[in-house]
Amino acid sequence: MSADDEHPDLAAMEQAQEPDLDRGPVEAWAAKMISNPDRAYRAMFYTATVFFLVTTLFPFYWLFMVAITPGRELSEVGALTPGGFDPTSFITIFTRLPFHRYVFNSFLIATVATVIVLFVASLAGYVFGRLRFRGRNPLLLLVLVTSFFPPAAFFVPLNRLFNTQVAVLEPIMSEGTLYNTPYAIFIPVSAIFLPLSIFILMTFYSQIPDGLEDAARIEGTTRIGALFRVIVPLSAPGVATAGVLTFITVYNEYFFSSLMTDGRPENWAPMLEGILAFQGQYEVDFHLMAAASIVAVLPVAILVIVAQEKIVSGLTAGAVKE
Amino acid sequence: MSTDTQNDGDSGRLVMRPLNRLETVSEQVYAYVLLIPAAVLLGFIAFYPLLNTLWFSLLGDDVFSPDPFGEFNGFGNYADLLAGEAQLPQQFLDVGLSGSFPFVEMGTPFLQQALFVTLAFAIISVLFETLIGFGQAYVIDQDFRGRRWVRVAIIIPYALPIVIQAMIFYLMFNPTIGWATDLMQAIGVFGDNPLASSRDSFFIVLVADIWKTSAFMALLILAGLQSVDRSLYDVAKVSGASPWQQFKYITFPIVLPALLVAMLFRTMDAMRIYGLVDATAGCEQVPSMTCLVITALQGSRRWATASAVAFLTAIVIGLLVIVYLIGLRGSEGGVA
Repeated sequence: MSADDEHPDLAAMEQAQEPDLDRGPVEAWAAKMISNPDRAYRAMFYTATVFFLVTTLFPFYWLFMVAITPGRELSEVGALTPGGFDPTSFITIFTRLPFHRYVFNSFLIATVATVIVLFVASLAGYVFGRLRFRGRNPLLLLVLVTSFFPPAAFFVPLNRLFNTQVAVLEPIMSEGTLYNTPYAIFIPVSAIFLPLSIFILMTFYSQIPDGLEDAARIEGTTRIGALFRVIVPLSAPGVATAGVLTFITVYNEYFFSSLMTDGRPENWAPMLEGILAFQGQYEVDFHLMAAASIVAVLPVAILVIVAQEKIVSGLTAGAVKE
Repeated sequence: MSTDTQNDGDSGRLVMRPLNRLETVSEQVYAYVLLIPAAVLLGFIAFYPLLNTLWFSLLGDDVFSPDPFGEFNGFGNYADLLAGEAQLPQQFLDVGLSGSFPFVEMGTPFLQQALFVTLAFAIISVLFETLIGFGQAYVIDQDFRGRRWVRVAIIIPYALPIVIQAMIFYLMFNPTIGWATDLMQAIGVFGDNPLASSRDSFFIVLVADIWKTSAFMALLILAGLQSVDRSLYDVAKVSGASPWQQFKYITFPIVLPALLVAMLFRTMDAMRIYGLVDATAGCEQVPSMTCLVITALQGSRRWATASAVAFLTAIVIGLLVIVYLIGLRGSEGGVA
């Protein structure tokens, strides 16, 4: 801008569209932005993107820094740098505690819950989405209502129920109770996450043209067959969305997972107990907790990377119709 | 169908007979039959326990007997909870009227009252999550190179297990290894050990929740954004609308119903916060409503009081849902 400073009149004549005088770099930048707002919006967009990327990813980065710091030098961990370098934490978590068993427990519970939810919600979603019958709206409302009750409202009786000895169960279950078994976790979480899947599947199933189902029936499939051979495959994106969302939510669930077992891996304690177990009685192995967290987050992170298009498109289809 | 079954063996016939019966029933009956599994699951896990909780909450506590319920107590537990006289380390609600300004008196500190802690948490967190989620959704709705990876990065906190989310923030604010405590102390906001102070812990839980669940909001709002007809923007551009005007007159009104639904879900979720609190600061510091249920249950074996707290929680959430549904009815195309 120095040339402009010396010859303000000349500069003004040259830049007819920007007649102002004496500009610092900031003002000049601002003027450029005003004359060309698209640039300003573009700059804002990139700033926002970078800001969101840094804020979402930084905690993971820092967790990794803690995980690779040796146990003795934990107080040296900075905001950006590790306190040392010792990747053996990622092995120690499997030797000190059977952390793989915890993760396996969680994985199994989430898988079984997902299968149950998808099956039950498919039937219910088909009924609500495609059939006309008396009592549809009140029943649908009843399903919606369950989704707003807090898990705590179910917990006291369930806790009592699962701790009651049932003679029938004694041959299969230790002590004849459901406490300390995977059933105590996946039965309640399946029920609690069922309404969401019913709603997602309901919207998808209702969009399949009637003609396709009729054709299948004329070809000779049973009513149930038409549901599982025609409606469900044609709604594959919706089923995938419901499945992925259910799996993620069950895997991440805290309330029942932390209260329905005594925390021992052989008693089907899920992954969260494993992470908290590194918080020993006398010393807390922060670096091991961090390493365990990173290992436990990998399955869902991979799932999100693979299925993100599905999640977004599934929710979009649901949101439009609601 | 019947010819098929005749060819099958006896075992096949056992399976096929009820299925054949289904072929002939009316649509009405068929619908009810298909709803049986859902009804069993929801009845056993949701409706039956809910009624049970309601019944338990009307009984008295009997801390010393093997069965922790005393005799019928009517609404005694509710009265105690609402008057701040429950025998718990934290109170559900404890305000009195006073003669001087501001006319209400806190019997227990604000952040030790479950109702206020939870409401404050829900309102503040949902507000920030909506704003940040909107920003994030707007970013990942644009077309640019590397969009796929930016999208993954932004929604990944949503998929994070609660215990790990809690762990990250617990470690960050841990006085020994975390850097965040030093930072906050330098600004003069925090005390020495933030995880042992109600006010600081509340802030930590809030930040942790906003960090994770903004991504969820972004997902739901993105779903709304993608349902906007792109040609509307072309029309707007031709008429000379600025991006801000496009947002104000096209994007926002169309997204509003989806936004309200997303906020409804988030508010319901925020009102039941437990895991994040339990794994970071602990229920003594930030006694959310669900926390209070667990404290009453495990800390002092007051099962009846715990049931009453649980039911009150459900009532408070129900009231909030009604407020939202009224709001949704106002905006067109809501779920209500």
